[in-house]
Amino acid sequence: MSISHEINPRDRILLIGNPNVGKSVFFTELTGIHAISSNYVGTTVSYMEGHLPVGGKEYTLIDVPGTYSLTPTSDAESIAVHFLKSGAKAIICVLDASNLERNLYLALELQKYDIPTVYTLNLLDVAERRGTIINDRLLAQDLGAPVIPTIAVKKQGIDELIQELNIVLNEESKVTSDGSAANNISINANTATKCKQSCGKCSQCPSKRLESQADIWSMAREIRQRVSKQETSSPSFIDRLGDAMVKPMPGIPIALLSMAMLIGVVVFGGRGLRAGLLPLVNEIIVPFFRWLFALFIPEGIFLNILIGEFGVFVISFEWILALIFPYVLCFYIAFSFLEDSGYLPRVSVLFDNVMRKLGIQGGSLIYTVMGFGCAVPAIIGTRAATSRKERLIVTAAICFAIPCISQTGALIALFSAYDWWMMPAMVLFGLVLFISVSLIAGKLTKGKVEPLIIEVPNLLMPEPKAYGRKLLTRMKHFLKDAEVPMLAAVVLAALLAETGALNAIARFAEPLVSRWLGMPAEAVTALILGIVRREMSVAPLIALDLTALQAFVGGAVALMYIPCISVFAILTKEFKLKIAAIITVSTIIAALFIGGLINQIGQLFLQLT
Amino acid sequence: MANICTTKLYEARKGDELQVSSVPNIVLLESLGIHAGTRLTVKTRYPLGGPVLIHVENTYSVAIGKDIAKQIEVFSEIKGSDKSELQNIVEVDEL
Repeated sequence: MSISHEINPRDRILLIGNPNVGKSVFFTELTGIHAISSNYVGTTVSYMEGHLPVGGKEYTLIDVPGTYSLTPTSDAESIAVHFLKSGAKAIICVLDASNLERNLYLALELQKYDIPTVYTLNLLDVAERRGTIINDRLLAQDLGAPVIPTIAVKKQGIDELIQELNIVLNEESKVTSDGSAANNISINANTATKCKQSCGKCSQCPSKRLESQADIWSMAREIRQRVSKQETSSPSFIDRLGDAMVKPMPGIPIALLSMAMLIGVVVFGGRGLRAGLLPLVNEIIVPFFRWLFALFIPEGIFLNILIGEFGVFVISFEWILALIFPYVLCFYIAFSFLEDSGYLPRVSVLFDNVMRKLGIQGGSLIYTVMGFGCAVPAIIGTRAATSRKERLIVTAAICFAIPCISQTGALIALFSAYDWWMMPAMVLFGLVLFISVSLIAGKLTKGKVEPLIIEVPNLLMPEPKAYGRKLLTRMKHFLKDAEVPMLAAVVLAALLAETGALNAIARFAEPLVSRWLGMPAEAVTALILGIVRREMSVAPLIALDLTALQAFVGGAVALMYIPCISVFAILTKEFKLKIAAIITVSTIIAALFIGGLINQIGQLFLQLT
Repeated sequence: MANICTTKLYEARKGDELQVSSVPNIVLLESLGIHAGTRLTVKTRYPLGGPVLIHVENTYSVAIGKDIAKQIEVFSEIKGSDKSELQNIVEVDEL
């Protein structure tokens, strides 16, 4: 992980806070860049930066990964410390009003770094619901810095935050030009503060007095008791629901039901959308381009590459728009909701006992579910894992056994032509594979997996606007990221088909593809294109008129076969080339070996019956 | 009148109100505010070696895996005898 920095520390503003307090929401509001935020620890595991204009000057706002303290416990958390050490113009520290004491721990730790800070008291709505009332003026006095009450998801307090930031930044430049530090800071527009503003020089400085962790904790408690009042409140429906969801009963039935609903939304929603989009592609878009190209281009290989049976314009619309996109959209509609609601950590807790038996811990379930969307963010997400061993096990299991949503869509489309049990059988196969890979990877990697320690966040009803924006961002990313490799694959497919190269390769691969895997020779296209993107290892099979056994073998091979080019790139980046190569080679070997085994056993079985 | 008797968090029962007497040296526990003196309530136990879900200082919930919960020493201040059986409780309820 390289944190190179061309940005001048003098223009840097850091956005810091505990995990899951809404930093990413502030980042989006302040810079207009859509950071993906969700309701669990570790959404921002790398960091994002964006421009933040304050008082006519441009600053760079950095969305630092959430951290509970400045003693990092994972790769993701150490980024925060790195940024603090290399210096910044100012800090925006986001505090969770519903969980003040623990958030104050980080706030007080930050003061050691002598960087001017504006605190925001966020999630005020949640705190209020819990009957917690906080006096922000008193808090500002105790922290020696401005405190802005906010409800970021509803855009409340954002303007005040920018104003206050402006004041703090101006004071900072005044101080530097005067050269006399402490005295000037004492006057502040909103908050009559004493000199506690992280000057670190005078005796009142809180950071001066706090030597040990225990000191910081007792200081945090002292402040919390002084500034907040707790009124008794009966737990709201959503709080009670949140509690119920994390109990084995009814939590486990609810979890199974949610998973069934997730699958239902993807399978049926995807199918419905596809039924609408396919005629649009086949009857309007493709004929339009066929007519258009026929006007200019004479018949021949070039025209075929553009708009023939495997032409670029036919396949790219048919596969990207009609085959994959419906499933991607449906998956993220459901997944983003689960993510924002804070439900996923509850699932990790419920199934920690099972995951423990596989040598990993419940927390990894979140990355696994993410992997059903795309392996790239899932593998980046594992940075928040506390041990390297766990990262490796989860990454390997995702590469082998978790199909990304694009591939899932293609598999659903492939199996829809056969008996209903094909899909459940494939799910079962994937599950066995996941368990086996986890256990084997656990044996092969050195080190120890740290047991689960996870905060279970409040259950929240996702804010419609933030949710919609996130969904939109994800769809844009999908279309943008998928487009180039997909088009490359499609052009490759067209070239292979139209130049006759495919036939030559098919003849060469015949023993493997036909005799061992029992597939028609043309199926080799799937193996070639599958290198580029995972759904491409399935899509070419759809038009081949396979038998049920062939379809199942094809699906099983595709599931295990090569993590796509983007995943290979991220593997190399996160774990070095050696690990990436080991994972890739073993997926190819496993795919061809196990796929062939299924075919041979299946053939035998068919002969007997 | 306070009757102090330390036990492992992993052996605590659902509903127990406890105070931490010692924790293993794990940074994440400290950062989450779980250290000697922290007050907590056991919210849920999970079968088959699952974690212990605790409510910390009446504010936030943290799940702690078996192997760490076994290293956390806790005690409860018993007033009178409303909780008669403070033994080394072992088995998990539910499921």
